[in-house]
Amino acid sequence: MVTRDIIRRSGRSLKSAKGRTILTALAIAVGTFALTLTLAASNGATAFVNKIITENFDPAELFVAADETLFGQANSTKPRVYDPSFGTTSTNAGTTTQIKRITEADIKKLSGTEGVEKVREDISVATRYITREGEKKFVGTIAAYNPAQKPELLAGATPADFDGSNVILPEGFLQSLGFASPQDAIGIQLMVSISKSLSPAQLQAQLKSGTLPQTPEQSSAQADNNAVTEELKVIAVSKKPITSRPGTELYLIVPLSEARRLNDITSEGTANYRKYNFVLVKAEDGSDPAKLKIVQQRIKDLGYQARSVKETQEFLTNIIGVLQGIVAGFGLIAIIASVFGIINTMYISVLQRTREIGLMKALGMRNRDVGRLFRFEAAWIGFLGGAIGSAVGVVLGIALNPWITTKLGLGEGNKLLIFMPLQVFILIVVLMVISILAGWLPSRKASRLDPIEALRTE
Amino acid sequence: MIQVADVGKIYGKGENLFTALYKIDLSVADGSTVAIVGKSGSGKSTLMHIMSGLDHATSGEVVINGKSLTAMKPREVDAFRATEMSFIFQSFFVEANQTCYQNVILPLEIARVSRRLRRKRVLSALTAVGLEEKVDTDASKLSGGQMQRLAIARAIVNKPKIIFADEPTGNLDSSTGEVIINLLFDLNKKLGCTLVVVTHDSELAVRCNTQVNMKDGEIVSQSGGASTAQAKAKNVNGSRHGN
Repeated sequence: MVTRDIIRRSGRSLKSAKGRTILTALAIAVGTFALTLTLAASNGATAFVNKIITENFDPAELFVAADETLFGQANSTKPRVYDPSFGTTSTNAGTTTQIKRITEADIKKLSGTEGVEKVREDISVATRYITREGEKKFVGTIAAYNPAQKPELLAGATPADFDGSNVILPEGFLQSLGFASPQDAIGIQLMVSISKSLSPAQLQAQLKSGTLPQTPEQSSAQADNNAVTEELKVIAVSKKPITSRPGTELYLIVPLSEARRLNDITSEGTANYRKYNFVLVKAEDGSDPAKLKIVQQRIKDLGYQARSVKETQEFLTNIIGVLQGIVAGFGLIAIIASVFGIINTMYISVLQRTREIGLMKALGMRNRDVGRLFRFEAAWIGFLGGAIGSAVGVVLGIALNPWITTKLGLGEGNKLLIFMPLQVFILIVVLMVISILAGWLPSRKASRLDPIEALRTE
Repeated sequence: MIQVADVGKIYGKGENLFTALYKIDLSVADGSTVAIVGKSGSGKSTLMHIMSGLDHATSGEVVINGKSLTAMKPREVDAFRATEMSFIFQSFFVEANQTCYQNVILPLEIARVSRRLRRKRVLSALTAVGLEEKVDTDASKLSGGQMQRLAIARAIVNKPKIIFADEPTGNLDSSTGEVIINLLFDLNKKLGCTLVVVTHDSELAVRCNTQVNMKDGEIVSQSGGASTAQAKAKNVNGSRHGN
């Protein structure tokens, strides 16, 4: 018999046992469903991480910190020796700690390291408030422009030499600051209030003269006195989010020089003056991973912590991978369980069709072809299960994507579940192969049946 | 021309040894009709199975149209059966949940007949048995007689030279059986194929050219045509050589 005829005949015999076939296929479908969604989630999560990384970071840059805590390697079981050159800070969890920051001397040292092209500080400035003439005051963060970012603009333009007291305003501020359209905001001066830190000398002087604030009102008045108001001109309005990183949607982006200036104002006279948690070190020809690695090692040898964008990416995708592995494991268990279902179903099929097998053999069908008939039947079951499972997975996934995106706060335009047709296709093919293997013993039984015995069966 | 020479069949080993056939000699001329008659256990079915290559003889030889079936490899026997022979069974063995068309096309698929020829051949086979209006009807909707006619259509669709019929009327009432018998002999005449029938049905047996009576694995008598198989074989051989 020709393969095509065998495939058609095996499909037809499945049709005559619809209930049994569909139930067996459904068992496979459960596993396929889980695997389809796992693969899709894996695609989506990887794409999300990659998007964040490529949209926010230059692969030729290294994150460099002086303190290992910043890369999540804090040792909270061992007391940390106090270092008078750094202030104490509170972490998000409320733990008191000290963070060794990168100083100007460190930056000089890093800049002088062989293979380093440029060092830039990672600056974000907490403002007191942001406003404009006649509008309410809003809390806001100012961050330094990162040349690796290519913000999508709704109005205006970012000049190649983005400099001076200019700002890229995120779309989210438009309505609050009373702009009717993105175009209206261009060229408008924003007022940004920044607190100056009191230097120890100033505090001493206040203590001496007895002008230290006593009431909340006095304290607030002093804060006003201590604050400077800076004007920033809007040159562009960015579509949210400027980064795909959740939490940064409302950052006001200013040139690095401006961020430095504002940061200096807030920290002048304190222990944190011109000290940074992170700097970004760009390596010469750093897009070549081998060269980047050499520079990274040199920086580590100087006693700094350095992590490449790729490592950060791998760190994130590894976590995702482990979680995915667990779900995929359950899917595989379901498929292994369904293999026994296929074996059982195929044995029943062979038993039910003993006489038909006898007839086909009497009519001259070769044993090999009889075996193939049943293996194709098993493949059909695998195909059905795979198709049902992945179809349900894809439909459900596409339907749920918007909900998942809002629930997880992934940001507009991001999807957790990304389905790749090729992956689904390969999955189904693999399932068909597994089914054929599961149908091996029953099909061998069929091919070895003695036609005379088979024809005698009633 | 089927020549069965000195065929024996032994089942089992040692104490369980059972001899189903003793030294059978039989020869069937092309286009003739032969009825193998006997009680159950007489070895008539075994003989038919060996003649058709479904079973192997323990000794002796079966030669069909000059080719020794007993010397062929299993694969060659399969191919030979697919192209030269076909079968009709007592319980029809039609696939109830397939259409008549799908039932009849099976031998063509097995014999790898080209797709272009299939439809025409199936339709003409169904027409030959009077089922031309049931082409797309499920076999389950047919009566017993129609099912056997469907089985006959399946048997003739690939134009075999030999049709083996195992109790073709065994499951039919006498009037339906009559119709089937007439059909078989009509086809034998029209198509010129050899018909070997294993049967209890004396009405069917007497209509054959030759009746072979079997008992306990031996041919006890043979009537119609030549008095002995050997004699008939020589006769037919002679006449064929003359052609």
